[in-house]
Formats: sequence, C-alpha cells, structure tokens
Amino acid sequence: MLRRAVLQTFRQGLAQSFFKRYAVSLTETTVTHQPIETSNEAGERSVPTQKTGDESRNTVVVAPPEFRFMYPEFLPDPAMETRNRLREKLERMDMLQRRSVIEIPEFYTGSIMAVTVADANSPNKFARFVGICIQRGGSGLRAWFILRNVVDKQGVEILYEMYCPLIQKIEVLRLERRLDESLLYLRDALPEYSTFPLDMEPERRLNNSVVPINPLKVKLRPRPWLERWERQNLQGVEDLNLPQRFYDKAEKVAKPWEKYDLMLHYRKTIPAEEQEKIFAEVHSQLQQQELKRKLRRRRGPDNEQ
Amino acid sequence: MNQADLSKLVSALRIAVKPKPRPLSCPEGPAGRLRKLRATVTALVKYERIELYYPRAEEAQGYAERLISDAIRNGDCHKHTMEMADYWLNEKQLVHKLFKVLVPRYQNYNSSFSRLVLGPNSYPGYFAGTAILELKGNPFPALQPETHNYHYWLHNVLLDEAKKEFRSAREERNAGTTESVTAES
Repeated sequence: MLRRAVLQTFRQGLAQSFFKRYAVSLTETTVTHQPIETSNEAGERSVPTQKTGDESRNTVVVAPPEFRFMYPEFLPDPAMETRNRLREKLERMDMLQRRSVIEIPEFYTGSIMAVTVADANSPNKFARFVGICIQRGGSGLRAWFILRNVVDKQGVEILYEMYCPLIQKIEVLRLERRLDESLLYLRDALPEYSTFPLDMEPERRLNNSVVPINPLKVKLRPRPWLERWERQNLQGVEDLNLPQRFYDKAEKVAKPWEKYDLMLHYRKTIPAEEQEKIFAEVHSQLQQQELKRKLRRRRGPDNEQ
Repeated sequence: MNQADLSKLVSALRIAVKPKPRPLSCPEGPAGRLRKLRATVTALVKYERIELYYPRAEEAQGYAERLISDAIRNGDCHKHTMEMADYWLNEKQLVHKLFKVLVPRYQNYNSSFSRLVLGPNSYPGYFAGTAILELKGNPFPALQPETHNYHYWLHNVLLDEAKKEFRSAREERNAGTTESVTAES
C-alpha cells in the first residue's frame, strides 16, 4: 500500500535559472515549488471499467486512482489565469506522441535514475548521467526533474525536461520514494547521501505492485545552510540540533492557519472530476503503450536467439 | 509552471471562483481573515440565510461550498474533513448539522449549495453593497420570484392566436381597399 509521508514547505532559495526548451544544463539551482501536505488516503477503488462495444450501456472509461501519482505532469497548472483547455488538450496529445517514441518510466522523488542525452560536443555523441531525483515539477510538455550526484567530490545537479527530444533514454535504476516530496536538503547533507556510482546497474524490484518508501534520515553538514531547514517540517532529516532561538523564530514566522485554508488548497489543485476526465482521455493510450513495451521486452531475448 | 498538488482530492465547486483571494484586512492579518470568515461560515450554517457585505459574503461562500463538498465526498469518518469542520464551525452542534442534515440534503445536487443575492444599498455611497448569502433548500420564502415560462399557458396561447387573427383580418381589409382603388383608377 502506498504510504504518503508529511511533506515540508520551503521558500525559493536561489533565483531560478531559465533554460531553453530543448537544452539541458549543468548548474546548482533551486526551483520554485508549492507547499504540499499529504494525508493518508484509502487508495482502494473499483477496478477500472473498460469501454465495451455495447453502446446501449453507458460504460465510462475510468483510470485507476494511482495515475495521478504516476503521471502528475498530465494535470495542468492549477493557476486559473493561465489555463487554456485547448492548449492543454493539444499538449496531452503531444505528450502521448512522445511517450510512444521513448519510454518515460514511472519515477518519484528519491528514485535513482540514468538519463542519456544526445550531445553534439561529446566524443560518442551521447552524454549519460546517473543521479537521485531530488525534485520534479512543471506540467504538460515542460515537466522536468532534477538529478543529483557527486562526481569527483563535486556536487552536480542537472535539470532534465522530460519531453525534450534530445533525451534518448530514461532508466530508473532504483524505484523508491523518500519521506519528503523534495530532497533539496541533500545539498546541505553529507556527500555520501548524494553519491551514486555512474555505472550503477538497474535493480530488480521484488514487489511490482508497491513502491517502497525508504525511511532514511539524512545527516546535514554544520551550518551555514542554503535554506532554513528547521522551518520546513522535513521528515527525512536527522535531528538538526540547533539552538532554541531558531525554533522560536520558526514558530513566530509560521502560518498555522494555512492548514485550514480550504480555498487556498482548492486554488492549488485540480478538482477530482477534472482529473478523472483527463486521465480517462489518456488512460487507454498509456495502457496500450505499456503493453507494447512489455511484449517487446518479452520478445527481445527470443529475437536475440 | 507548477504541478498540481496531489495530496488531497477535492470536488469541483459549482460557483465562480476568482483566481486570487481577497485580503479582508484586519489587525491580526491573514489569521484574522480566517477568523472572520469562520464566524461568517458558522452563521451561514446556523441561520441558513444571512445578510452581510458583499466582499465577505463572496469569500465565505467559497469556504462554505468547500466544507459541504468535502463532507459529501468524504463523510464524517474522514479525519481531515472532521478537522476542517471542527475548525470552521465554532459551535459544535453545527458539525452534527453539517453531516446529518446538510450532507443528505445536498447529496444529489448538480448545482451549487448556496446562493449569493445582491441586497439593498444605501444611496449615496462608495462602499461595496450588501448581499444575502443563503443555503439552498432553506425553509424561508424565496428571495427572488420564481421564473416560469408563461409562453405556453392557455390564456397566452389564446391571446396570441387572437392577435394573429386580427392582423390577418386587417391585412385582408387593406388588400381589399387597395384593389378597389386600383380597379377604379
């Protein structure tokens, strides 16, 4: 059963760098992210009903509820001022088209991934990077994720746009979740928590139905830090051991009423009915692509023989 | 560009939601804003029809709709919904009213659960006018007269036919006189 941990709120640290749509760059950046709360939800719902050929019965295609966690970039940006239904529909069509060409696997913050990008300036024309996903965001074709690794004692983060045509391959080497939805605190943690071998092999999952949550608590380096982690209610960090004045100031600055602000939550999310409609639209195509890939994988070793 | 928050499932509200909330200034700041709106939402659930100024009424309508839609979607055994009901309703007997009376009343509604009607303004003035915020299905007489389509009522059908007859008779008479004039000339 998927467990959702309580997540942190945090403010924008460094200014967000802007990237060209199809470029991939090598910087240490922080990116804006909305505060998130989670609650334990019963994920049990009925099996999705498939559309039958019988037109007299009004059967409706319904995607499983986990789709919104597996494909969060299909949901549009909730900001009302910039919503455009037609643009969103066209973007979804383009996203499905790209997904039919390349496999974009299911991944979460805390998964270790390897991305191969076409690079004209590298000797073998491809650049491969392995790292842990510390954050993901964006919606539609501009969905991105950041991979972090420590190479030759230098921390390196790369922001990849998931639907960039330069990306050749995205592999998930270890699929797991962490206690927080954003692992930006790894920048202030000891380097061993961000180091992963660049020639890491993909690990086999023991249980395909459940994504494991790694309850690792990370040790931070001594201050100064990039952000005020004590104000962010982080679950995946060991006790910060700060003087009491930090916690007092955090309490003074906190906004406890936001937990009860129903309209604030409403403006930050897409309503359930709309989510169902969107995933019902893309569900059948995504399932077909999954099946084709599974068949290709099964036939793969046979073809080699 | 931000990703939608996935932690909670919310029902779509059937009222017009403005992109930005109103600050509703008060000495305590944002905490005071929610305190004021709590009083308004409690009064709305208690009395089912309240008269107040328009800006606060519009904000409170959103929160009331959200509370009721959450109660309908999740029921009273859902921890988060009960926490919200406990916060937003200052009188605890109203929490019972929400789940035992309002949820069954609005279970099958396809429209919004509340109605915001503009009220009388004192003239002259530069302030936002009064508004009446009410929950639908309340026991009071309706604020606005019911609109019916009177077109197909019997007396209107008969009157329309009588008018058509009169007009066609008049045209025949006019046609008759013009023919006689042309014939004479």
